[in-house]
Amino acid sequence: MNPQLDTFSYDDDIVRQFTWATIVWGLVGMLVGLLIALQLAFPALNYGPFLSFGRLRPLHTNAVIFAFAGNAFFAGAYYSSQRLLKTRMFSDALSRVHFWGWQLIIVSAALTLPAGFTQAKEYAELEWPIDIAIAVVWVVFAINFFGTIARRRERHLYVAIWFYIASIVTVAILHIFNNLSVPAGPLKSYSIYAGVQDAFMQWWYGHNAVAFFLTTPFLGLMYYFMPKAADRPVFSYRLSILHFWTLVFLYIWAGPHHLHYTALPEWASTLGMVFSVMLWAPSWGGMINGLLTLRGAWRKVVEDPVLKFFVVAVTAYGMATFEGPMLSVKSVNALAHYTDWIIAHVHTGALGWNGFLTFGMIYWMAPRLFQTRLHSQKLAELHFWLATFGMILYATAIYSAGLTQGLMWRAFDETGRLQFPDFVETTMRLMPMYYLRAVGGALYISGMVLFLYNILRTWQARPAAYEVPEIKAAPLAKVYVEPPHPAEPAGALARFARATWHRSWERLPLTFTVMTALAVIVASLFEIIPTFLIKSNIPTIASVTPYTPLELAGRDIYIREGCFNCHSQMIRPFRYETERYGEYSKPGEFVYDHPFLWGSRRIGPDLAREGGKYPNLWHVRHMEAPATITQRSIMPPYPWLLRNAIDFPTIQKRVDAMAMLGVPYGDAVTRAPAMAQEQAGMIAAEIEAAGGPRGLADKEIVALVAYLQRLGTDIRKAPAAAGGGGH
Amino acid sequence: MRLSDIMAGAGLSGYAQIALILFFVAFIAIAIRIFWPGRDHEMDAASRMPLDDEHPQTARTGDRS
Repeated sequence: MNPQLDTFSYDDDIVRQFTWATIVWGLVGMLVGLLIALQLAFPALNYGPFLSFGRLRPLHTNAVIFAFAGNAFFAGAYYSSQRLLKTRMFSDALSRVHFWGWQLIIVSAALTLPAGFTQAKEYAELEWPIDIAIAVVWVVFAINFFGTIARRRERHLYVAIWFYIASIVTVAILHIFNNLSVPAGPLKSYSIYAGVQDAFMQWWYGHNAVAFFLTTPFLGLMYYFMPKAADRPVFSYRLSILHFWTLVFLYIWAGPHHLHYTALPEWASTLGMVFSVMLWAPSWGGMINGLLTLRGAWRKVVEDPVLKFFVVAVTAYGMATFEGPMLSVKSVNALAHYTDWIIAHVHTGALGWNGFLTFGMIYWMAPRLFQTRLHSQKLAELHFWLATFGMILYATAIYSAGLTQGLMWRAFDETGRLQFPDFVETTMRLMPMYYLRAVGGALYISGMVLFLYNILRTWQARPAAYEVPEIKAAPLAKVYVEPPHPAEPAGALARFARATWHRSWERLPLTFTVMTALAVIVASLFEIIPTFLIKSNIPTIASVTPYTPLELAGRDIYIREGCFNCHSQMIRPFRYETERYGEYSKPGEFVYDHPFLWGSRRIGPDLAREGGKYPNLWHVRHMEAPATITQRSIMPPYPWLLRNAIDFPTIQKRVDAMAMLGVPYGDAVTRAPAMAQEQAGMIAAEIEAAGGPRGLADKEIVALVAYLQRLGTDIRKAPAAAGGGGH
Repeated sequence: MRLSDIMAGAGLSGYAQIALILFFVAFIAIAIRIFWPGRDHEMDAASRMPLDDEHPQTARTGDRS
């Protein structure tokens, strides 16, 4: 026996802070989600540039992922890590820097995204100064977390800590490499990758953001808080170890399933599919492990809203991780990609898994954090049922919408023509489902309001001063002696099984972290290096040349307005796509696209071959008031593009940044603004001659029209005649 | 000769399949390691860690001096 015990206390203030941030930002993020859902059903709700769908959609996704789920992870991790490691956090100051730094980043996102500052990469929209801030704050968190591990009084690292370590390490790697870019201004940058490679990096990041920001951290929380709430250990610790390593090995490969049938090389796409299908097994192993933790405690589920939330959370995890591998199968993906089916899939995971786990966790922590009883169990029950019905309504409506869309897009009539050639017709068919979705979302949010009220009232009943319990625990011995394992059998396999390597990792966080990082990095490199370095993956097309300076400026406006949130630029090699949109997209067409703008959803039609389809004046009228040109169109109007002046002087900086990335800009590196003005003058004159508005030569609409008219036209040109930035 | 030419000649696209096999072997190794009998006590002790918030907390086996 070691009679000497250290006395210390846990820092629960930081947990309380992250808990409040979770609830407040969660409500904000979900309200923005409701607004954009209503904008699809009622396009008149698009108010001006700052509140238009294209700018608000990334605000919604960033808010719920990084503000709601992020703060929830931090709250749970700070609570559980201190207790599992039997020590206070390494540094209270670093905890505060982490908290306030993260909230500042969220505020920056809330200001810059509606203002149109975006990198146009999903879940990585924030511009370069904010990206740097994220990296810094993440490093602060990592130092604090690993410092806490170093000062622990518990030799073995519980499996929840492994999940936290994998999340912290992998998110850092993903964030840094996907966001590498060349600045072209204080809040403007271009990805260093182009086209196929940029798409590959983005979805390597994008899928693993789901994996290592929304899945592994929450699995860590599940493995701590479910046993706590059920008051019994996890069903199988062995299964949890297998769950961990299998997820770390497999997840990192799965990204390319977001790019099936695009210009991504076939082998990468297949690899993404195979690893995604394999993910089904560990995910369901984890789900079963979670649910069976409640064995013998099902009676408690009836009485305890916390366990109710956990049961639905783990069930939603199971549903989402069954559906994910299914959607990664190419033939299923061909139907689901670009449709609302993917939105339904994401929301099953986000509302069900992340949301419900967070609600359960906070309801469990609140009485302990605020040292009083939960204000109302009944309100918590009501929250549970509102959220459950809201989620079911949401999912049912949007799954139906997705299937309807996918089937209508591919339908041919008996004469072999597209049955629904008018895209708007397919959109109108979704309207009832969009209304239902909004009702479901509103129900879920009303539950969220009850949640806020309940926690607020609980907080109001807190004691005048929080009691800070003194914790006693024995320090770790300087030398660890491996305990004997007399029960283990002899033989070669037994020697391997007895080997202390994994037990050592469990005690040696540095080795463990290195091994986890290695699994992630090796897997990434096996996919990334061939994609980047094998020339045959991206056959060059001689007639493809850089965008002119004006087209580049127009492309930046397209990015600013978030057009890629509704329009893809990637025609897949299916007859129903080529009939509707034109020649399928080739990898070589995107070599100057920093960033790629293939999109992931078609609320409106694909624009990859938009160039030359309509006259310039059509585009002007269409952007000014879409519904007057395309009846029943739900696209928001962009009248400010006819008023805002093109920022000609900054075009040079943008061209220079692109040239720095290797885009052959020729003359444009010295006279980009002049070239842009010249092209703008010609387009404006043509619009005027066609009976359109006068005086558009310096207006943003002209730059956007120049870009739209260029889209997908290069492959139709002879190499010598091709236009371009410096030619 | 450029790096991309060397990489193009190296036939790297097949490496992904090799990686798949390597990771599968690692998976089998971990599975054997974890499910080998005779570690029940160790696993049980680890699984009880979240429930072990009670104090005072004495040192565990291996850390006792």
